[in-house]
Amino acid sequence: MRKIWAVIRREFVERIRSKWFWISALLGPVFFGAMIVVPVLFAGAGGTRRIAVVDGTTGAFGARVVAGLRGGKIFRATRVPAGVGVVDSLTQLVGAKQLDGFLIVTDAVVETGTAEYRASNVSSFRDVAELQDVLARVAVAARLERQGVDPAVVGRAQLRISLDTKKISGSRTTGESAAQSFALAYVMGVVLFLVITIYGVNVMSSVVEEKTTRIVEVLVSSLRPFQLMIGKVLGVGAVSIFQFVLWGLGAKLLLSQRQALLAGVGGAEEARQVFQMPHLSAATLGVFLGYFLGGFFLYSAMYAAVGAMSSNEQEARQAQQPVMFLLMIAYVSMFGLTNNPESTYAVTLSLIPFTAPIAMPVRWAASTVPAAELVGSLGLLVAGIVAVTWVAARIYRVGILMTGKRPNVRELVRWVRAG
Amino acid sequence: MLALDRVTKRFAGHTAVDGLSLSVPRGVIYGLLGPNGAGKTTTIRMIMDIIEPDEGSVRLFGEPGTGRDHSARIGYLPEERGLYRRMRVLDLVVFLAEMKGVERRRARARAALWLERLGLEAWRLRRVDELSKGMQQKVQFVSTILHEPELLVLDEPFAGLDPVNTQVLKDAVVELRRDGVTILFSTHIMEQAEKLCDQLCIIARGRKLVDGALADIKRTQTGHHLVIGFDGAPGAAAQLFADERVVKKVDDYGQYAELELAPGADAQRLLAALVNSGARLARFELSEPSLNKIFLDLVGPEAATPAARPHPGGARA
Repeated sequence: MRKIWAVIRREFVERIRSKWFWISALLGPVFFGAMIVVPVLFAGAGGTRRIAVVDGTTGAFGARVVAGLRGGKIFRATRVPAGVGVVDSLTQLVGAKQLDGFLIVTDAVVETGTAEYRASNVSSFRDVAELQDVLARVAVAARLERQGVDPAVVGRAQLRISLDTKKISGSRTTGESAAQSFALAYVMGVVLFLVITIYGVNVMSSVVEEKTTRIVEVLVSSLRPFQLMIGKVLGVGAVSIFQFVLWGLGAKLLLSQRQALLAGVGGAEEARQVFQMPHLSAATLGVFLGYFLGGFFLYSAMYAAVGAMSSNEQEARQAQQPVMFLLMIAYVSMFGLTNNPESTYAVTLSLIPFTAPIAMPVRWAASTVPAAELVGSLGLLVAGIVAVTWVAARIYRVGILMTGKRPNVRELVRWVRAG
Repeated sequence: MLALDRVTKRFAGHTAVDGLSLSVPRGVIYGLLGPNGAGKTTTIRMIMDIIEPDEGSVRLFGEPGTGRDHSARIGYLPEERGLYRRMRVLDLVVFLAEMKGVERRRARARAALWLERLGLEAWRLRRVDELSKGMQQKVQFVSTILHEPELLVLDEPFAGLDPVNTQVLKDAVVELRRDGVTILFSTHIMEQAEKLCDQLCIIARGRKLVDGALADIKRTQTGHHLVIGFDGAPGAAAQLFADERVVKKVDDYGQYAELELAPGADAQRLLAALVNSGARLARFELSEPSLNKIFLDLVGPEAATPAARPHPGGARA
């Protein structure tokens, strides 16, 4: 036990001392900070649109539309009376980029509800939604007034609806919006994939290093190969947890300085709307860390076996591809998992030990997972870890002392049986 | 201290060690000699429980248990040296001592002592890959003795060392023996073995050719050995050397000859015959054969090319 402990400490201390550890410890929060700032910058970059409203109406309708558009944040509208050649000259202005577009309103808007918008960019949902919203309000008001309703009453009756979505988790409302759930699920999936891969590969190179330097002979004459492998996996695992802690602290610090940070890029006011920290409950955090550890143990055992059967770093990088592919399955399915977390496919992925470490936390964040499924998935994951570690340890034991060509599948089976 | 009983190890289509038995008494320096590919490293790996013998048994300290079970009492220097290249020297040797069950603080104290002794004091906080090859070998040697083993197993300890470091290492080995440590080392450099070993075992192609105390081997393996130097005329030396009743083997250089006398032959009679034939002698010396000669005689030229190397998929011999 003391020997395993020494192996764990060596893996931990040597890794913490490396500059790569601290670079990634810094990059984590930088990435997180970018997540806060970038959306705001983008929102700003959307900017305002300069449009003309070609007024072909007989009443005050056109003027009201202009007023309505000016009330919003997106459009700087100017009223242009309809006339011969107006459309052509405006089209030229748009072509010369002096104008973003123009809206043509006639009396038909009130009658049939149709208007025309011509612009250099008509694919922005935001722009179109705003135009439709303003036109509808003004048209409804005009119709009501024609029926003799007091304009003051119309004004009071007008209500803008903003839909506030909240996710129900268990039977509690979490205060999490749909977008936040999605973002959280997605970010968790990406982080899990990256970190399991990075630290799995860490275990692999550590094994390969001991093999190529032949120090493994001295080690294996002092402690059992299984002890060495477990110590290595636990040591690297401890480093990854430490990394998470650093990232967590960094993120917390950034979050507390969010206002200052956003003020720096000139978007403090919009900050609260654009970026809201997804609500990370203790349960979600627990699921995330639990599946991270499970996934890490599962995959690093495989990576250790891969390292043991390769005689140099290059060979190992090739041999790890099947392992990588296994983890990729859940990763590439992530879009499906977040959009349709209750589908049979998603449930199956979250139960299979090889895909569960990514699939289950993603599902968990995106929807409400029944307790039975969570327990079942965890049980299968633990069983998977035990089985995979057992097989990996046998491959590892034979492999670390081998030199020469990489074994084929038949030889691997023999190694496993030889135990 | 260490006993091998009919130990056999086969790799795919190749027997690396074949029914090898040997016994290493406590407190000696024991040489395991043999040409390349004779099975020395395989034997040592079986002693260290890195690989298991297919047949036979290895018994250590007269107690049950494998080399790994007794690892705290054994120091091992493998043939292919290897250290964690990016670790600091002190951390590395302390870690390896911990692998042998030494408590951390004690390991640090002993490490400081030995690093200083081998002139590595100034390098203890440097990374291993900043050290020269010779220094790395010394670091590795330190790591094999830090836990005060009773048995030291050194696989080709002098390979690749310069004369100065060879001397340093030799002194350390001799001193350890004086402190009661039993040392088993493999080599194919006979001069070294001859000077260091109390006992030895010569193997070739996995089989034992001879073992025992060096003096006994010299006595029993060959007859009297004679070195003759001429001072000008060799007289009728050539005819005399050709007499198979007197001379069993000869290596004649003209002005110098090494011969092995036939059993029962009298060296004094040969001397008289040489003088009578008119030979002028500069030297006439009865001596023991060198270990090198015994080795060559026993192993024979055919052993210079070892049997086929093990299958690429198998462990190295």
